[in-house]
Amino acid sequence: MKILRRAMLRAAARLVPSRERAEWLAEWSAELWYAQESCAVDADRFCLGAFQDALCLRRQRSGEERRTSPWLASPARCLLLLAGLDAIAWLAVLPIPRSPGPIPLRAILLLMGMACPILLATTRLSLGDCPASRYAPSLATRMRRWLFLAAKIALIMAGMYAGLLLAASLGEQTRPAAALVYALLFGSVLALRWALRDQRRRCPVCLRLLTNPVTVGQRASWFLEWNCTELICLRGHGVLYIPENPTNWFGAQLWMYLDSSWRGF
Amino acid sequence: MVRMAGETKLSHTAAMILQALGAGHVYGLSVMEMTGLPSGTVYPAMRRLERDGLIRSQWESPSIADAGKRPARKYYRLTRTGKATLEASQKRYPLLAKLAAAAEAAER
Repeated sequence: MKILRRAMLRAAARLVPSRERAEWLAEWSAELWYAQESCAVDADRFCLGAFQDALCLRRQRSGEERRTSPWLASPARCLLLLAGLDAIAWLAVLPIPRSPGPIPLRAILLLMGMACPILLATTRLSLGDCPASRYAPSLATRMRRWLFLAAKIALIMAGMYAGLLLAASLGEQTRPAAALVYALLFGSVLALRWALRDQRRRCPVCLRLLTNPVTVGQRASWFLEWNCTELICLRGHGVLYIPENPTNWFGAQLWMYLDSSWRGF
Repeated sequence: MVRMAGETKLSHTAAMILQALGAGHVYGLSVMEMTGLPSGTVYPAMRRLERDGLIRSQWESPSIADAGKRPARKYYRLTRTGKATLEASQKRYPLLAKLAAAAEAAER
């Protein structure tokens, strides 16, 4: 029985983030030793609780870190990643012989035209409020944000175009081609949603992903107080507030520029 | 548990755990025994309390544990903020102190 209990703890430990696993297991193993000695606690039920603790710890850590992939944190790397995916798609598609006919340039516009209403129905297009501030950067810097979004969308479209070429090579009116077009439509909606969501989580100045999420307020008090998640630009450009329960006075995320004294932190 | 502008609001469970720790039950298992809460509730709550700076944990010295031929344990103590929060919670939940006293009496 003792072996089974230890095995339960080891299985639960697999759920704990790796850097904390050894200490977590040491604590639970030690406490199990005492639980087995004690008559007041059911050792089997005690071990089952380890799974709950491991899951909570995992959720807590992932919430704190809100995993930001190093490849996506910097805007240049984000574009490089998209360009790399496009290159792979094009390298896969170009050698395939295609039936003679016009390259479906209009098809990509049609695909995007179909994706846009779906996108409008399923997500907000707004990038959030950004009140005017004397700490706001120059117009050229602010324009970079829009250029970055445009570049992401262009790279997504280039990938979709490669997919359409593949569909064209499968021949007209065939089932695989139709299935691929539907998959591309679905994929383009998801990709554009990601592009917008990614844009909202970036600093408008340096375009790096915002980090260190902190919950402010409580859900029960959303009617009278703020209930939001606060993210900060590690370079000290500003703070982003994302409402947990959008209301008519705090409906969209709000970006606040910070003065230059924050840059040193 | 939620912290806002210097004021910390605790759930009843978290307050019970703080009360148990304040009463000298410094190990997770003894907190479970005192509060009657299961391990799956006590340990995650203690981690949250530690994250919020209300309690801090420390490993027992291995030499002491080795001398007693038992594994070293991790024990938890209230921080200064934790003590202040416990006092505030006792005002918010007046039965909390009685619960601790009843548990002490039952142990004896």
